[in-house]
Amino acid sequence: MGYVAVKGGTDAIHNSHELVEFYRLRDAVTPIDIKQIRSQLRLAVDKVMGEGGLYAPDYAAIALKQAEGEVFEAAFIIRAFRTTLQRRFYSETINTRELFIKRKISASFREIPGGQILGPTRDYTQRILDTGKVEETAEDIKKFLEVFESKIDREKLQSVKTYTKVIDLLREEGLLKPIDKNEDRRLVDITREAIKFPAPRSARLQMMARAETGGLMAMGYSSMRGFGSVHPTVGELRYGHLPVRIKDPSGRIRYAGKIEITEAEMVSSVSAAKKNAVPKFTIGYGLCFGQNDTKVICMGILDSTMRSPDTGSPANDQEFVLYHTEGIEAMGFTNHLKLPHYVDFQSALSNIRGAIERNEQLKEGQKAEEVTFMQP
Amino acid sequence: MENQDYIICECQLEALEAFVSSIEPVFEIKIVRAPSICMTMVQAEDAVEYQPFYLGEALTTECELIVNGQKGYGICLGDEPLRCYCMAFIDAITQLKDIDLSKTYQFLNEQARLIEEAKKIEYNHIQRTKVDFKLMEQD
Repeated sequence: MGYVAVKGGTDAIHNSHELVEFYRLRDAVTPIDIKQIRSQLRLAVDKVMGEGGLYAPDYAAIALKQAEGEVFEAAFIIRAFRTTLQRRFYSETINTRELFIKRKISASFREIPGGQILGPTRDYTQRILDTGKVEETAEDIKKFLEVFESKIDREKLQSVKTYTKVIDLLREEGLLKPIDKNEDRRLVDITREAIKFPAPRSARLQMMARAETGGLMAMGYSSMRGFGSVHPTVGELRYGHLPVRIKDPSGRIRYAGKIEITEAEMVSSVSAAKKNAVPKFTIGYGLCFGQNDTKVICMGILDSTMRSPDTGSPANDQEFVLYHTEGIEAMGFTNHLKLPHYVDFQSALSNIRGAIERNEQLKEGQKAEEVTFMQP
Repeated sequence: MENQDYIICECQLEALEAFVSSIEPVFEIKIVRAPSICMTMVQAEDAVEYQPFYLGEALTTECELIVNGQKGYGICLGDEPLRCYCMAFIDAITQLKDIDLSKTYQFLNEQARLIEEAKKIEYNHIQRTKVDFKLMEQD
């Protein structure tokens, strides 16, 4: 059964959009400033950029305001916005070893180069609702910042450093599984080329970088719980900002700004495939815009699972993982169910009514035969 | 000057705008491409096997000027028309011969100092979260 379009309803749709604005504004409270969203809803902005596939903090903040804080909707708006822009440049390959470290932890090693830096995290909080936030004033913010700033001695500042990665140490010791030379290493752009399965790793990483965090988490969690076999350890998780360089039209490579990213290397051990061969570690890789630990951890898990195809485990099935973690597609498809399906449904209704009618006629026919049979 | 673009991208916009406004009247400026937004695809690679992949796009502003006959390009992340214009302008004048750039370098050096100081302060705040977890059997 094909789709049948509907028409009309323009006024009601327009009024509905107006009503959305009414419900957003009817309390007539102070409008939220975009800077406030960028600053105080930082992690939501990061999610919108990551899932929208466009690094643009101000625009992500606008989308969040427009969508009344609905991250799916905001990411959808950003995806739509990016289609209106021309892609003029490709950056030079970013180097995560240049990261200005804001957070750097390892669950595999206690002592790592430069030490464990917790950075901004709520990992060790009890998630107790802070009702004091209700009373927060500009004066409180100013006071907090003054006290915070006074906690370091500006006369004795340490110099900024970059640090060796944990995986570099594992590699130096020869503990990592060698690169599979038969793996498809083509660089594919899934925004320009429809994905085909099996997809090269570049396509899988790109799709996961803009996948929905909750979707990735569900898939990664399923593997850890036993519907798969990957239960890794965080080799290293880093968050910070790094430079983006672009070749200008004269051919010179120019510094163009910095982006915030989170990166994870997830370590799993693999037993040797051949007898007498030594076991090695494999690394699953996760990288995304902004600060999002959950996303990169799960991306790392799924990077590992998808390298061991197994249609029996959802997390090891590329098509299952990639299609079902694509938040905008999933949201679009789910929400299309609300659109008029009158003709579809009428057809189903008429089929079911017909079947019931035929069934009743059959029953009546059988009853009539039984009555005839019972008459002497 | 090394790090010129880095300084222009990271410095305070008000200071940059004020500086460029103060020196631009003596130059003949032709706008070839007015500041406009576009996208840059950010190329990444996994840090383990160095397999390349595309991370996503970044909003970018680009601008092209001709200053006293010298082309200058500005490319910076974000919707930053003013900064991008200033970047293109400084890119052009720093390629011109026989002009006095001492004021420009003085401005850039001062901004570089401020950026480095702010970066160092942030780094030191972050270092305060360094942790050394002890195992339970340790003291």
